Amino acid sequence: MEERKGLLSTGWGRIAHNKRYIVWFYILNLVMAWLGAAAFSNQAHDYLDHSLLSSRLVHGMDIGVLIEMFAQPDFGTVSAARASGVHFALAFFLLTALFMPGVLQGFSSTYRLPRDDFFRACGRNLWRFIRLMIVAGIVIGAVASALFALQGVIVKAAEESTNELLPFEMRMLCLAIIFLVMTALRIWFDLAEADVVLSDQNAVRRSIATGFRHAWRNLWQLLGAYVLITIVALIILGAGLVTWEKLIPASSVAGAFVLTQFMLLLLLIPRFWQRGVAVSYYLENMVAPIVVNTLTPPVAVATPSPLPPAEPQAT
Amino acid sequence: MKTRSFILFFPLLSVIAVSVLLRAHAAKTEAQAAPASAPKESSEGVTANWGLLTIPDTTLAINSSQPMSQRVVHYEIDAKYDAAKHTVDATEVLTYHNLTGVALDHFPFHLYQNAFHPNSTWVREAKVAGSRDTSYDKWESKEYGSEEIKSIEVSGQGDLTSQLHYIQPDDGNKDDKTVIDLPLRQPISPNGFVQFRIVFHDQMPETQARSGWKRDFVLGGQWFPKVGVWWHGAWNCHQYHAMTEFFADFGVYDVKLTVPQNEVVGASGVKVSEVKNPDNTKTVAYHGDDIHDFAWTASPRFKVKEDGVYQGQMGPVQMRILMQPAHWSQVDRHEKILRESLEQFEKRYGPYPYKTITLVDPEPDSAAGGMEYPTFITGGTSWFMPEGLHLPELVVEHEFGHQYWYGMVATNEFEDAWMDEGINSYSEVKVLDSIFGQRFSMINQLRAALGEREGQRLSYIGVADLDPMAQNAYDYYSFNSYGGITYGKTASVLLTLEGIIGEDMMDKVMHTYFMKYRFTHPTKEDFLKTIEEVSGKNLRWYFNQAVYGSQVMDYKILKVESFPVNWYEEKASHKKEDKNTVYRSYVWVQRKGDFVMPVDIEVTFENGEQIREHWDGASRWTKFTYEKKSKIESAELDPEHTIQIDRNDFNNSYRVEGNGKAARKLTNYWLFATQWLGQALAWWGV
Repeated sequence: MEERKGLLSTGWGRIAHNKRYIVWFYILNLVMAWLGAAAFSNQAHDYLDHSLLSSRLVHGMDIGVLIEMFAQPDFGTVSAARASGVHFALAFFLLTALFMPGVLQGFSSTYRLPRDDFFRACGRNLWRFIRLMIVAGIVIGAVASALFALQGVIVKAAEESTNELLPFEMRMLCLAIIFLVMTALRIWFDLAEADVVLSDQNAVRRSIATGFRHAWRNLWQLLGAYVLITIVALIILGAGLVTWEKLIPASSVAGAFVLTQFMLLLLLIPRFWQRGVAVSYYLENMVAPIVVNTLTPPVAVATPSPLPPAEPQAT
Repeated sequence: MKTRSFILFFPLLSVIAVSVLLRAHAAKTEAQAAPASAPKESSEGVTANWGLLTIPDTTLAINSSQPMSQRVVHYEIDAKYDAAKHTVDATEVLTYHNLTGVALDHFPFHLYQNAFHPNSTWVREAKVAGSRDTSYDKWESKEYGSEEIKSIEVSGQGDLTSQLHYIQPDDGNKDDKTVIDLPLRQPISPNGFVQFRIVFHDQMPETQARSGWKRDFVLGGQWFPKVGVWWHGAWNCHQYHAMTEFFADFGVYDVKLTVPQNEVVGASGVKVSEVKNPDNTKTVAYHGDDIHDFAWTASPRFKVKEDGVYQGQMGPVQMRILMQPAHWSQVDRHEKILRESLEQFEKRYGPYPYKTITLVDPEPDSAAGGMEYPTFITGGTSWFMPEGLHLPELVVEHEFGHQYWYGMVATNEFEDAWMDEGINSYSEVKVLDSIFGQRFSMINQLRAALGEREGQRLSYIGVADLDPMAQNAYDYYSFNSYGGITYGKTASVLLTLEGIIGEDMMDKVMHTYFMKYRFTHPTKEDFLKTIEEVSGKNLRWYFNQAVYGSQVMDYKILKVESFPVNWYEEKASHKKEDKNTVYRSYVWVQRKGDFVMPVDIEVTFENGEQIREHWDGASRWTKFTYEKKSKIESAELDPEHTIQIDRNDFNNSYRVEGNGKAARKLTNYWLFATQWLGQALAWWGV
């Protein structure tokens, strides 16, 4: 427990000393989403701005008006706007992958990492990260597919029960287990990423093996830390949504924008915190010990001492 | 005194005399038929023991001292349900009173359970046009259903089982066995009676089309051989189609159900007895008056609330509610909406005459929810149902409404589905709006709101140009079109009619229609003529387009312009506009669709002045011109929002100065979703 607390606090210390990364990633996230939402925004303005009916969307949310808007052929298909949003969300994901080595380098650094070093780390580890992500994608995808398939079987069997809640309970239980397994896999590859960057490891397979070994050995400690951080994220999300519903008037677009953006900014923190934990763990447990080759001092051979030197004579 | 006695006793004597004559006639008919078909042994080797050839005038199940319908049939069914095999074995004695005015030499029967077969018309249609519950991507053995007549005997004519043959009056599909016809050896003369003794066997499917079993639950709907309706000079006995419901004559039902003792049973009518049998079964008997169908349900896990009594206009109505255990916390919600529905319908349309109403909360994930049978309805909810989602209320209210539009006003659901589903959907809008409020009658949760009338309209606008209301239910393009037109369009058409003849007048129309046609089989013209007679208006122009046609309405404010009248003067174009500037303004209105209807237009000027215009909509477009010291701020079609059938409400108004608040609000949601998606991908992917 003490070790987990130590990891959490040292992990937190790393993001506290590198807050600028979170701000930059938030800006990146906002800009990507803004570009992704532009198509929808144009569609909505063209369709709604001159119609009196749109006022029913301002005060509260009239589902009927919303459905009708999407159903009208002259509103245009939403699929293009949706595709745009998804593509820019993917772009944010890829940019995160691109810049993450710099972040990890910064987290491990005891001083403010110069910009050059940050981007150097990004460029140096780009191809390594791509390889790492491919392996992670295969492993996580395969395990997730298997677990979701198993969940389907379990839930289907539960649906035969006369206990109506059983399928729901089984689904929740399965999702909780899947979440824990996925988190464990994430820990594995987070450690591998830290190893790749901080050990300057060109052989990605070695980092994967090292990450697996450490994740396995210290699973409960790391999993506990990761799960606690995820709970923080869920609290942020829940609190944000409740605040939105309770405190922000339905007609206040600016209020809703400020709150949602603040919420999204806060939601970036937990994942960085998890990475801080991974870096701390790496530095404490995975850094190869520095072997210092010192020369053995020659053994002094005792030789019969001649006569002690004569004391200086007083003259 | 003598005169009074005569007045009192003459009708009574007449009835007795007529009864004696009728019985004598019937006996004579039987006697005449006897040589041709001497009574044979039944399949069980027992000589048929024919009951009284008459339809009982019982009133046990209604709050009336006299029958309320013209009773044509009397079904006496003794059925045993095998809960393990999901089968029913039963004997049905059907007495039919020939009130057709002609001799009947053959009788068609519905065998609805035979629909659940891969080559049936029902399944063929459901596979291509869709259905409520099943996609039929693959066929599973548990989806089989069947209804087999083991034997059929006719009073005075013997065993005619060998004469039975399937017919396919609608599509000629020889594999369809949902209608069977029985030619008689002797025709049944006008006003005569005939009795059929039918031994049948059902294999119930896993619930489809609101019938069958799911886990240990069963809903016995459309489960017994049911005779067709002699209507407009011919038998009306359609095959069972994926998009059709039912049609039957009024009468009396006496049904005995034998089920395992642990089952909780609910059924149409009133329960008259319950007897435990030595073989660990029990037999529950029900009686129904003035109904045209009989359904039942059984499950060992129902929790029952039956202490609720609604004091109706004709007498007390017992509300019996059978809930799933996981939904028990919602039982008060169900009882409340059932009571409110009874109140609203009695107030708006007329009395509910039956002594009971049974509300069944069916097995979760079954295709048994949301169905109406006489005095027996199924709802639909789940264990998680926030108060602001009015889905259970909507379903219960809708199915209860069918007690009026189907149960009592018994229209032909095969041919005029809009008359039961659509008129009932219109009632649903009126009732739920009055209970929950117009904007919130479907959803009122977390700032999200959806009104029932908007819901009906939305189901229509997507299929507006596919089908008319007035057509056979089995002729619709698809299940979506059937739903959107019969439910959504009809409700929207009648709500729009309110705007034409007035809401109070429409209430009067509906009350008159119900009282005039309850316990009958009215046609679409009966309904439309009632509207015209009560309102005193010729509405053919509307009915021809809205009911018989598939014309689509879409009016649009095409363009709005304002500019100074002296725009051509150089100084005018440079001068800053002031309060003395006179503007010439135009509003163009377009009729985009082919539905022609007069509309109002409200033009609002920047100084607050409003002008109401009227346009007959005959041409494709029109223009309104104004010269005022103010520019136009906005123009709006149908400012009272009485038209519910316009396909696009967004283009019904135009404001000159755009207001981007709604678009910004939606964009903010979109932005949030996109950002969150990006973060989620990055969380798990990197």
